[in-house]
Amino acid sequence: MIPPIVSLILSIIMECGLFTIVTLSLNLEVGFTGLPQFGRVLAVEVGAFAVGGVAARILAYMLGFSAGAKYANYNYNYRIVDAIEAVLAKNVALCVGYFILALVLAALSGAFIGWLTSRPAIRLREAYLGISLLAWGDVLMWVARNWWPLVGGTNAVHVPDPLSPISETFGGFYRFMVMSFLIFGFAILTYIYLERITKSPFGRALKMHRDCELAASVYGVDLVKLRTKCLVIGSAIAAIAGALYVIYSCTCSAYTFSRVTWTFWPWAYMMLGGTGSNAGVFVGVFIFIIIRTLINIYKVDIAELFHLPFDPIWLEYTLVGLALILIVLFKPHGLIPEKSEPIVSRKKIQEIIGETSGKKGK
Amino acid sequence: MAVSPIIADGITFASALALLAFGITLLYVCTRTFNFAHASMATWGLYVMYTGVELFGGSPYQYLPLAFLFGALLGVICYVFINGPLLRRGASEVTLMMSTLGYDILLLSLIQIYCDYLTRVYKLYPRMVTMSKYDFEIFGVRAATIVSLASTIGILIALHLFLHKTRFGVAVRATIENPPLANIIGINSEIVYMTSWIIGGGLASLGGAMISMVLTGNPVMGSLIVVSMFAASILGGLFSIYGGALGGYVVGLAEYMGLYALKLSVGPWILMYRPVIPLIIMAVTLLFLPQGLAGIPWASIIEKFKGGEKR
Repeated sequence: MIPPIVSLILSIIMECGLFTIVTLSLNLEVGFTGLPQFGRVLAVEVGAFAVGGVAARILAYMLGFSAGAKYANYNYNYRIVDAIEAVLAKNVALCVGYFILALVLAALSGAFIGWLTSRPAIRLREAYLGISLLAWGDVLMWVARNWWPLVGGTNAVHVPDPLSPISETFGGFYRFMVMSFLIFGFAILTYIYLERITKSPFGRALKMHRDCELAASVYGVDLVKLRTKCLVIGSAIAAIAGALYVIYSCTCSAYTFSRVTWTFWPWAYMMLGGTGSNAGVFVGVFIFIIIRTLINIYKVDIAELFHLPFDPIWLEYTLVGLALILIVLFKPHGLIPEKSEPIVSRKKIQEIIGETSGKKGK
Repeated sequence: MAVSPIIADGITFASALALLAFGITLLYVCTRTFNFAHASMATWGLYVMYTGVELFGGSPYQYLPLAFLFGALLGVICYVFINGPLLRRGASEVTLMMSTLGYDILLLSLIQIYCDYLTRVYKLYPRMVTMSKYDFEIFGVRAATIVSLASTIGILIALHLFLHKTRFGVAVRATIENPPLANIIGINSEIVYMTSWIIGGGLASLGGAMISMVLTGNPVMGSLIVVSMFAASILGGLFSIYGGALGGYVVGLAEYMGLYALKLSVGPWILMYRPVIPLIIMAVTLLFLPQGLAGIPWASIIEKFKGGEKR
């Protein structure tokens, strides 16, 4: 038997990985570029639907199953997906191909949606931009909830599992383990990629855009291009997170992707860790996920211990809300603040100051 | 006198939305804060009314003042503990938004806790509230329509008089126009900020309580209509409080009557996409009219029109 603590640790690893990817992408847009991205859920959703609604259909079409509106009908969907998984379990190459196709599709559609949302971002500022991004996040949600041929509307669609060979030969637990480490691996890859990006000249331009747009444009930075590029990269990364989540959970539902879970919580994680600091994001996500998991496990005990007349699950929300307020008030730079990376060292600056003041003295 | 229920409910919805958007715009022009917590403040208004009716009886309308006071209290708490310190520090707009977002999540969790409490202790069903069953009719029209329309117009007139006819109102307007200059001539901007949070928060809860007469009340009611509120204030232009109220009426009526007209011409499936309407209005406003309704030079248009007639 597998001890429960192992699967608990695995699920913490999985969630940390998933939310690290989302929060890192948010950090790129908010922490480094200064765009108030209150619509993170949109890109995550797009990535998820690209897998659940498009990649899975392509697979169904290739294998000769019905891939039209019938695919998303809850009477047929689970049968079609079962049949697909039976084929997938015997064909590792097809599984790998499907997995890559899913991620590439998700990234491409995420990039496209990032480009679309960057159109208003060119004109709008601060509060206006934040609200319109938040509103766009809701549009797709409403469309997906009501237009069932996409991902089943009120019913979730099942998603073929590219790891079915593993669950077929070793059992469900090993599939869970591989998936958790896979997602965490993607989180580390994202971290390395974003560290490289933010330390490059492009990253310095992003920071310049955040700190002073005027200075950036004086130094020849094309602000429109910069914002577009940043939103495209950020949304593509977030879309990959959505795709991984759908592949992990093997279902795709319009109701999974809410504003609170996929926009507001990543904001809280980022603020706790430190906006503009990739390492901080890791720490913030880790702390919050541990606390949330603990509340989830011990919710019955908490309720009994304090005779709470309510479900302790809401304490998660209380915690996130309070944490956001306290961070904004008392620790606005987070636990691991962004390090300043001066282009000229402090010693050099002091030398220059010394020289000029010396000249004035003469 | 028979008024179609669609029109009556549309007016109720639009009036409440006007109050909500008015509050958002007021807070934005006074304190540079785009208040996310408006969603949960509105939901609290609903639950103040619900608690009153379920536990103490009576008509829902007699609890409207209480809803206003409770919202004002929430606003004051937000100002004293969160918004005020940040404003003094000169925080950016995004930071101010973030803080109200935290406050919104906190209030939402308290609503959920309160709902659980009502369910377990009083055996009520606060997650599925239909306030309209307590409504009555006046001359064949739902009282909600008359009450909401009358109170919205009354509040707007009262606030207009307050801002233009009282010394303090003039001080408020001066602070909105130019905070440093207002400080120089001895206006205490802190009191002005506090007042705007009292009015904004109170109107949020009042609007939420009124809007629950035509919607199904649940803990996430505020989060569901928050996009309509934002759309209304964007349509109004975010810098004119009257524009916010006007935007509320336009968005509210478009959601109800525009949708009804579409249903007749396109088919009933369109009703599902109701939440998309405020988003479309918002997108069109941002693209073609970024200054909102208040940004249109009405005076010069009227002037031109009159001039054209004379010639």
